[in-house]
Amino acid sequence: MSKKVKTDFPDAFIAEAEKRQEVLPERIDANPQNAEKGLAKLVLTLVELIRKLMEKQAMRRVEGGSLTDEEIEKVGETLMKLENKMKELKGVFELKDEDLNINLGPLGDLM
Amino acid sequence: MKIYTYGVIDSNSGIEDSNKGIEGAHVYNIPYRDISIAVSDLDERSQKKASSGYILKHEEVAERLMESFTVLPMRFFTIFKDKEAILSMMSEYYDSFNENLNRLRGKLEFGLKVIWSGNTIKKRIAENNTGQGQNEFLSNGSQAKNYVMQKLKKYKLDQQFKEEGHKYISIVNRFFSGFAVEEKLNILKSEGLLLTASYLVEKAKQDDFKQAFERLKKSGPNDLKYLFSGPWPPYNFINLTKSEFKKA
Repeated sequence: MSKKVKTDFPDAFIAEAEKRQEVLPERIDANPQNAEKGLAKLVLTLVELIRKLMEKQAMRRVEGGSLTDEEIEKVGETLMKLENKMKELKGVFELKDEDLNINLGPLGDLM
Repeated sequence: MKIYTYGVIDSNSGIEDSNKGIEGAHVYNIPYRDISIAVSDLDERSQKKASSGYILKHEEVAERLMESFTVLPMRFFTIFKDKEAILSMMSEYYDSFNENLNRLRGKLEFGLKVIWSGNTIKKRIAENNTGQGQNEFLSNGSQAKNYVMQKLKKYKLDQQFKEEGHKYISIVNRFFSGFAVEEKLNILKSEGLLLTASYLVEKAKQDDFKQAFERLKKSGPNDLKYLFSGPWPPYNFINLTKSEFKKA
């Protein structure tokens, strides 16, 4: 079957595939010892997704010039607080940025 | 005894397949109306975790079937508890299976992955952006405002990065789109993986399609790395919906 795959750079593609496997576990790893962490990972992933979407939306509006100085100030403060809170929570549950993602199978990665 | 499934085919007569399937089991088909599903029995006790050997076997069986039939390959490691469960699934999806079999008849799938040096490109964009409109916020901005401006800078960089990616993709895709009936493009799954594409190609045009790849390698952007694969059964082009419940 190998003749069905053609590339002049097998190493680069293997490395790319391996990188993705490291980042994305097939399943959420939850067992009695780490149930809390497993749940925290799931919840924080969703919170992070929403936070990123909010950030993106805010940037669109800032870029579009539809916000006043005062509003930009408020947006900045909110986003800053959210990011700090997330950092704090990640620290509590010993989670890294790359832990906060889920492989949704055929739909791809959540983030 | 559970039943391992390989794919739905557009014939209900018995398949003659002397080659073996997963765990060396005999491959046969279970008919439902005018179609059928290729399967083999799987000993419950021998069920291990899916292995790469199983994947190759699954693919091998699907490809052998493809020589004689139109195949809707099942997702790897799809197992049913008994024949009844299979027949109920077949009845539930019969209309959809038929639609897909008709749409995919005489067609194959090819895959293309493209790696680019995303890192270098990001750096280049960042360098080009330096000095553009930064002073307005650094001198008189509050902490919150500066934070927004920093985020905005990153946001713009990401946008430009994506635009650059789309430019490359449209060049690459131009080589193939004339030969494909359908295409699915997955863009920038990671910073380095610019494109993961699947193309649905008529059997009669598969040589043209392969030649298009050779042309791309010769005259396409020279800073990209390609991986071309196929022909495969049309894994990525099956759209399934359950049949509507019939009124009593």
